[in-house]
Amino acid sequence: MLHLLGVNLPDRKIVLVALTYFYGIGPQTARKVCSQLSIHKECKMNELSETKVNQLSSILSNMTLENDLKRKISANVHHLREIGTYVGKRHAMGMPVHGQHTLNNSKTAKKLNRRWLRKYSTSSRLAPVFGILQSPLSNKQD
Amino acid sequence: MFGASRLGLAKLVTPKQLFVYGVRRSISTTQHVSDYHKGADRTVSTAFVKRGVAKPKQMKTGLKTVVDMANANERYYHPIPVVGAPTLSKETAKSENVNKILRLDKEFMESIGNDNFPGFLENDFKLFGKPALLYRGLTQRLVSQLYKGGRRASSKAIVLDGKAGIGKSAELLMLASIAASSGHIVIYAPKTISWVNSTRPYAPDANNSGMFVQQDVTAELLSRIYSMSKGALEKVPLGKRVTIGRTTLADDQTLADLVVYGYETPGLAQTALDQLLEIASTQTVVPVLIAVDDINTFWTDTLYRSQDDEVLPAHRLRLVDSLGGFFDRKRRLAKGLVIGATSHVDYRFMPKSVKDKLDPPLMVPLTNRELAKDQNLVRPSTKKPYGIVKLKHMDSGEAWGLLCFYRATNLIATKVTREFVAKKWMMASGNPREIFSNITSFA
Repeated sequence: MLHLLGVNLPDRKIVLVALTYFYGIGPQTARKVCSQLSIHKECKMNELSETKVNQLSSILSNMTLENDLKRKISANVHHLREIGTYVGKRHAMGMPVHGQHTLNNSKTAKKLNRRWLRKYSTSSRLAPVFGILQSPLSNKQD
Repeated sequence: MFGASRLGLAKLVTPKQLFVYGVRRSISTTQHVSDYHKGADRTVSTAFVKRGVAKPKQMKTGLKTVVDMANANERYYHPIPVVGAPTLSKETAKSENVNKILRLDKEFMESIGNDNFPGFLENDFKLFGKPALLYRGLTQRLVSQLYKGGRRASSKAIVLDGKAGIGKSAELLMLASIAASSGHIVIYAPKTISWVNSTRPYAPDANNSGMFVQQDVTAELLSRIYSMSKGALEKVPLGKRVTIGRTTLADDQTLADLVVYGYETPGLAQTALDQLLEIASTQTVVPVLIAVDDINTFWTDTLYRSQDDEVLPAHRLRLVDSLGGFFDRKRRLAKGLVIGATSHVDYRFMPKSVKDKLDPPLMVPLTNRELAKDQNLVRPSTKKPYGIVKLKHMDSGEAWGLLCFYRATNLIATKVTREFVAKKWMMASGNPREIFSNITSFA
């Protein structure tokens, strides 16, 4: 198992597939990274030389991945909420953001859309101390 | 359910509860049978042996089974009979042996390697026991062309084209075998699809921007060239000082030394191959045969990508560019023959542009004289730098020879008659691959 930037990449996986194990890398980005390093499509992780691994590591370290990316997305959503946009409110309510119908379905949005704003508290006293946003559904108002 | 009154119970009872009260019920048929055969282990077969299993409990899909002849039932498994056939060589490649089966030389087959047989021939050779192919009338014509090229410079490259399974790769294999036994320098590439389908490593060329090298593949090719034509390579001196990397080869050293250095140093294999082709194509001491299977892959886009994530055309691979130049008339052999065979197996490497190249449109002369004189008029070119030979269906004599061989190797149980041959020929439209599939599907 190759441990690269905090992620364990299985040795027997094809490089193109193993790179998608990173949060922030999908098939397209993985293909571009492999093209940049001239790695053929059927190359497996255990066939990479040390030079190639180092080059791969340097390319990946210049990209925004994993926790950095999650923090960035979370900050973007927080910003939308702070400036009081419609999109921000929808994220906070855990409802669909892109104008989908909510009469039926919208189960995925209700499950996932509030995850970027989970660092909030229903207590109004803690909000200014810890910089946590107050839930719009909170009953406790200042 | 069971009558509660029989047991004196106030309510209905389930079968589980019946066991509590010691009531016997009849066991199922499956349980009865499994108890009876308790001692027999029916999970292990006595005849079949699975190969390639790393861990006993893990089952891999697509695993091939081989028959363990030591434990096989003699009623159903017969050993492959030894068929006495002459070996294909310079002496046996004559018109007297047309429509006969000739065995391929063992050393030649070892030099190709087990995984490098073209097309479906590997499976065929396993069924026959020994590698053997039908010597056809077309093979005789190609051999005469080979000997003609051995006396003077080759005019045009030859490209064999035809439907899948018609025998193009087999012809090339036989020609390479004859050339190797005749003392030619043989540059034989059996599966060039593996050069372009992104299964082998590649790297940008440090000396040549825009080009890419495949050092492992080139080293393999050099190794094959050396094992096929060692004697011929030792006859040709370099004639000049050749510098590869930090090593300089003297002018009295031979091509064999150059090839050995090339495959022992994979990082410089491409340079060694370029030098080999330059010297071999200009010398007249020993004739050269360049035989490339799946030649259509040289004229398409590969599955590789450049560093800018653009699809790479095949001519940007140095290995393809080195050999492709002989087909496009950019390079010529002073003495020898250049021959290629197309492949219709992988549709990704047979686009419409390549099909039009192989089947150029008919050029009808223009009746309008003014239009014919117009210099701005552009018409598609029908001139090709290589000659195309279309392989057609087998004739009756070839089909008879082939089916007699199948009868001798027990692939066919019935006697071979004219009616039987005609029937099989009709069903397969004279295609050797379809005849073989038809026969083995009822084996």
